Amino acid sequence: MRNKSVLDERDEIQTAAELITLGARLQVLETETSLSRERLIKLYKEIKGCSPSKGMLPFSEDWYLGWEPNVHASLFLDIHRYLQQHTGARGVGALIKSYKLYLEHVAASQLDPVLTLTRAWTLLRFFGSLLKSVRCTRCSGSFIGHPLTATRGYVCGLCKPPSRAGKSRRMLAAYSEQAVPAG
Amino acid sequence: MSDMQTEIKELNLSYLMLAQRMIWEDKESSAYRLGISAQLAEVLSDLSPGQVLKLAAANVMLCRARFDDRLILGLLTSHARGNAMAQSHTAILLAGQPVEAVA
Repeated sequence: MRNKSVLDERDEIQTAAELITLGARLQVLETETSLSRERLIKLYKEIKGCSPSKGMLPFSEDWYLGWEPNVHASLFLDIHRYLQQHTGARGVGALIKSYKLYLEHVAASQLDPVLTLTRAWTLLRFFGSLLKSVRCTRCSGSFIGHPLTATRGYVCGLCKPPSRAGKSRRMLAAYSEQAVPAG
Repeated sequence: MSDMQTEIKELNLSYLMLAQRMIWEDKESSAYRLGISAQLAEVLSDLSPGQVLKLAAANVMLCRARFDDRLILGLLTSHARGNAMAQSHTAILLAGQPVEAVA
């Protein structure tokens, strides 16, 4: 039995509850808090009203390299880096704060939150080994790339979008809605 | 005092008061939103109402445009591909910009 103060435990439960509300999978909760699996499942059920989904996290690092995911994940990572470099936010606190700021951004830009909290968390774990940052030579923004991505002459997906990018039925519909004057 | 100076003073006052409220609520997130360092956020949040009033009474603006870069300004005003991704592009570039810090 770990020797834990009640106050520490209260903080951990608060963190876990916040992560669950933001959509974290059980694996994330188990890694980021020292609460027992049983307690986490109980907390999860209380908040979400259903059992956490079982099974492995299915994510591979390739997901972050697709056009739309890359923009979302790069923005999240840039926010996270900002907090790490310029404020005292660290660890799970920095994860929660940057993910909330990311959600705020997508809501303000009327985009779908393509990046889930669990994917954001996985990104931070992959970063450095399976993924790295590359600087766009045109806009000098920082984007996520494969470790083998050539840094010289790199141009990001926003400066030079692939021809199909952003032309999903959903986005076209959203765009034509914008084009129609509000009546 | 000219009308414009009164308006600058009012803007300074609203800026400082809003910034303080943001920082009191969440120092880290507001440092990101304001584009400043946590140290500067701390200095701002410690200002007394009297100091805020005195500071706001300057005849120059106390907040600076963060889109002084031609590229970001271009992105902010471009509507070519639907605004949504342009906003994300702007946000990525702003997050990577140097911050205002206490020298």
